[in-house]
Amino acid sequence: MLKLSWKGAMAHKGRLALMMIAVVLGVGFVAGTYVFTDTAKDAFDELLQQEIGDSVIVRQEIEFSASWDVGRVPASLLPAIEELPGVDRTLPFVQGWAQLLDKQGELIGGNGPPTFAMSWAEGMEELDPTRLVEGDIPRQDGEVAIDLYSAEQNDYMVGDTIDILTIEGVEEFKIVGLAGYGDMDNFVTATAALFDVETAQRVAGFDDEYSLIYVVAEPGVDREQLQAAVAGVLPEGTEAILSEVTIDEAQEEVDEIFGIFNRVFLVFGLIAIFVASFLIQNTYRIVVAQRTKELAMLRAVGATGAQVYWVVMAEALIMGIVASAIGIGAGVLLAVGLKVLLAAFGIQFPQGSLTLLPRTIIVGLIVGTVVTVISALLPARKASRVPPVAALREIQSTFFKSLRLRAMIGLGIVAAGVTALLVGLYADLGNGLLLTGVGAGVVFVGVSVIAPFFARYFGRVAGSPLPVADGVTGRLAQENAVRKPRRTAATASALMIGVALVTVIATLGATFKGTIEETVRDEVVAEYQVQVTGFGDPLSRGLSPDLAVELRSLPEVEVAAVYRSGEWRKPGTGGEETGAGPHFASSIGYLIAVDDDMDEVMRLDVSEGDFDDLGPNGVMLHETYAEEEGLSVGDPFSIEYPSGVVGEYDVVAIYGADLFGGGAASGDLIISMETFEANYDYELDQMVIIRLADGVDAEAVRPTLEAVVDGYPNAELNNAEEYIDKVGAQLDMMLNIVTGLLGMAIIIALLGITNTLSLSIMERKREIGLLRAVGMSRAQVQRMVYWESVLIAIFGAALGLSVGLALGVAVATAVGGLSITLPWVSLAVYALAAAIGGIIAAILPAYRGSRTDLLEAIAFE
Amino acid sequence: MTVLTDTAARVEGATKVFGEGDTAVRALDDMTVAFDRGRFTAIMGPSGSGKSTLLHCVAGLDNLTEGSAYIGDVRLGDLSEKQLTLLRRKSVGFVFQAFNLIPTLRADENITLPVDIAGEHPDEEWFNIVVRTMRLEDRLSHRPSELSGGQQQRVAAARALMSRPEIVFADEPSGNLDSKATDELLQFLRRAVDEFGQTIVMVTHDPIAAAYADKVVFLADGRCVGEMTGPTVESILDHMKALGG
Repeated sequence: MLKLSWKGAMAHKGRLALMMIAVVLGVGFVAGTYVFTDTAKDAFDELLQQEIGDSVIVRQEIEFSASWDVGRVPASLLPAIEELPGVDRTLPFVQGWAQLLDKQGELIGGNGPPTFAMSWAEGMEELDPTRLVEGDIPRQDGEVAIDLYSAEQNDYMVGDTIDILTIEGVEEFKIVGLAGYGDMDNFVTATAALFDVETAQRVAGFDDEYSLIYVVAEPGVDREQLQAAVAGVLPEGTEAILSEVTIDEAQEEVDEIFGIFNRVFLVFGLIAIFVASFLIQNTYRIVVAQRTKELAMLRAVGATGAQVYWVVMAEALIMGIVASAIGIGAGVLLAVGLKVLLAAFGIQFPQGSLTLLPRTIIVGLIVGTVVTVISALLPARKASRVPPVAALREIQSTFFKSLRLRAMIGLGIVAAGVTALLVGLYADLGNGLLLTGVGAGVVFVGVSVIAPFFARYFGRVAGSPLPVADGVTGRLAQENAVRKPRRTAATASALMIGVALVTVIATLGATFKGTIEETVRDEVVAEYQVQVTGFGDPLSRGLSPDLAVELRSLPEVEVAAVYRSGEWRKPGTGGEETGAGPHFASSIGYLIAVDDDMDEVMRLDVSEGDFDDLGPNGVMLHETYAEEEGLSVGDPFSIEYPSGVVGEYDVVAIYGADLFGGGAASGDLIISMETFEANYDYELDQMVIIRLADGVDAEAVRPTLEAVVDGYPNAELNNAEEYIDKVGAQLDMMLNIVTGLLGMAIIIALLGITNTLSLSIMERKREIGLLRAVGMSRAQVQRMVYWESVLIAIFGAALGLSVGLALGVAVATAVGGLSITLPWVSLAVYALAAAIGGIIAAILPAYRGSRTDLLEAIAFE
Repeated sequence: MTVLTDTAARVEGATKVFGEGDTAVRALDDMTVAFDRGRFTAIMGPSGSGKSTLLHCVAGLDNLTEGSAYIGDVRLGDLSEKQLTLLRRKSVGFVFQAFNLIPTLRADENITLPVDIAGEHPDEEWFNIVVRTMRLEDRLSHRPSELSGGQQQRVAAARALMSRPEIVFADEPSGNLDSKATDELLQFLRRAVDEFGQTIVMVTHDPIAAAYADKVVFLADGRCVGEMTGPTVESILDHMKALGG
């Protein structure tokens, strides 16, 4: 039996190869994701362990954080610490924001990763992975060392001068050295400008403060005792910790970042595998139908149905295992490729060998094999039911076992999926997203079950231009596409999944863009905004406050209001550790602080209370949040700040405006600038909103405004339209990445079309032979196959677009507060792309079909 | 030398070898035979005599190892693959033993298939004549799966005649039919020759079918071993007994 299975498999290498490719791609994606994240995590762990030296670190006590800021400690602490016995030396450290400018005056970096200004003192290399690659460390004002990557990318060498943008404006420095982090050329994608300690303080806007103080113990001194001693001289709100703690925190940070990356990519990998399972099941179904004679013969000579079942399953099992093993290898290659790709974009990781954990191998093998075996279950059962008599008679298996009944069952499945989906979206569950995903998957399965019911109608309608366009060639293609509705539907369904998902993305994208547009038009009364160029985390960059001051001084400007954002949380929602990096904890929210003339440039839509009451004791709540929390004007409200300090306030107003649609500032609450400055160290503004004086012409005054803005290289001036475009462009970029990731699923689906066509053409050998005999040219045969493929692809696209639109609207509605917009242009593009995909998928089968050996085809056995 | 214009198709010195060396098979062995225009010719012989091979080669479906095949005055060996395809479209009609029809097309669409492939409009008058001759008037809108074996073969014959080809080749057209259907089909083929001057060459092993022909050509071992004009079932059977086949 096993030998039979082996022979059966080897006899049809082509279809075997295609099925295996699908599994390899899916498993490769999953395995590659794991290998990539495991390797990166291990590399960072190693780096941190090796390069961070033993010391005691003095820093501000921070409860939670969503930024790279590590807080402040007063410089006045230094003498007290240095006097303690056992202290060999102290090393103050400053970390803030500064941006390098290239030789043309353009900003370097700032599109995503942070840009640091840091201090560097003699002896740092023992405590921190920062290392000097070339030249010397900066020792006085006017000197700077920059990261090696920025230098190489922008043609800077030791000895050159460089302009640097800081909170004080643009300043020129001399490059005395180039630095790296561990063995990386940049600071884990961030750029760095390193100064001596005093210059760093000035440039980063630290008044008599440091970010940290490293305390190195004398040889032989017990560090824990030293830690206790240091803690004794520290004021409230500051702490002394062992350097190991920062290693732990950093490792947690790394784990979290890569954990998220992992989960996201796994989702795409699982989608690819889901599509692959459609392909495999469809292929097996077709093959079982084609090998009916062979199977019947087995039965006729005495094999039981069960034995036939196991022959099919054995083949599936073997294929699954082999394909999964290859897939794991492919995954490793994928991880390597990804590393290389990212490096080309300046995203480097510490060196290290690839980490292939047993977990990855096990998961890869299990996922690939299980999917293959499950996909073969139903076809195997069908195979076991082939009666022996089929060996002697031509049994036409066109039993039209009610497609109607099947459609009903499919409807039921869809209903179940929709229920799961809605529960996931609306019920307040922990794993709501997972349920939504599962629900969507079930909906896909259900639609694919119903699909054969529609295949014929669709073929008739969508295929009607074909006979007109291409005569009998078109007519035959139209008929062929739907003569086996189950097969066509199964093939098209694989494509449906990919198309549906990209449609969901497009719908959400269009909706977000539409909403932003509406929001901005409704709420922004001002003519211009000044914002930071590029995009990135608002907590690690911003505009110098001097900019707003300058703009305000212009006679044409009536109001120039600014806002800033910061992270907060409700007191009592704890458990999150602090860290020197962004956390994605769901308990952390964002608030906005505004100037008191903000209501003159924005329509805040205050429904209760008064904006003017904000002051140092008030907060304003967004109406949705207020409703959720059951709060109204007059109620008390507490805010826990990153430092752990809890502020008590009164709710003074409820507002409705969905402020500032981009960035992290889709806030739930607003505080006054006074309150903000008292509790945060962020000194950069996020945006300046400008309202012009009465009678001033917006166009005419623009050059004047631009002149001011030009003095700040990281600021750009936009009017409402440009602002909308800018946000739209950011959204588009993200959407394109996601759409690209879904490409894998679509490629697998197209492979499925190729597969189905190849098998169908094999079946129709006689027919094609006949057509060629009566005079159909090879080109006509090819065209026939192309048309058929295009029809199948468009069927899949039609299903996908419909389901995708429905899903997209459902998700957008669940998110709430959005004005649903449908992405008509994208839909048309996707339909066209599907048609083209169909043509490409058909190239090989069409060629093979047209080369059908005439004689072989018409010879009667 | 026969006058060329009276010959619809012929082979001269035709040899066809399959395989190589020890396993080589000489399906046709230096055969020369001509098929008269406007006549119904049957080709008979035991299995392995090369009758199907002869048909394939003279119809342009296969090429000869040595010698030449002609349809009309056109030497098939001179034609490109594309030209052969066009030739088959316009000048040759086929009726095979089985699988003659496209299952997804209706009977009338199957009949006009070669004309549709050429992108031309079928001659309506001729279509009606052919359909009437084959007695298919009330089966036109049916798919092949809804037709009996005999009806399917008649549709195939109608298709073969539709483009008014120079010659119709039939390979065991009655092989799968019962005697009644065989009679019907052969009568229609006979009519096509008598009333419309069509040329038909038919390979068959059935003496009853061959008796409808004007001339029977006997093959054995890749060679032509005899001809018989005005055949009857008895005379054919006698001749075949004499041949030992």
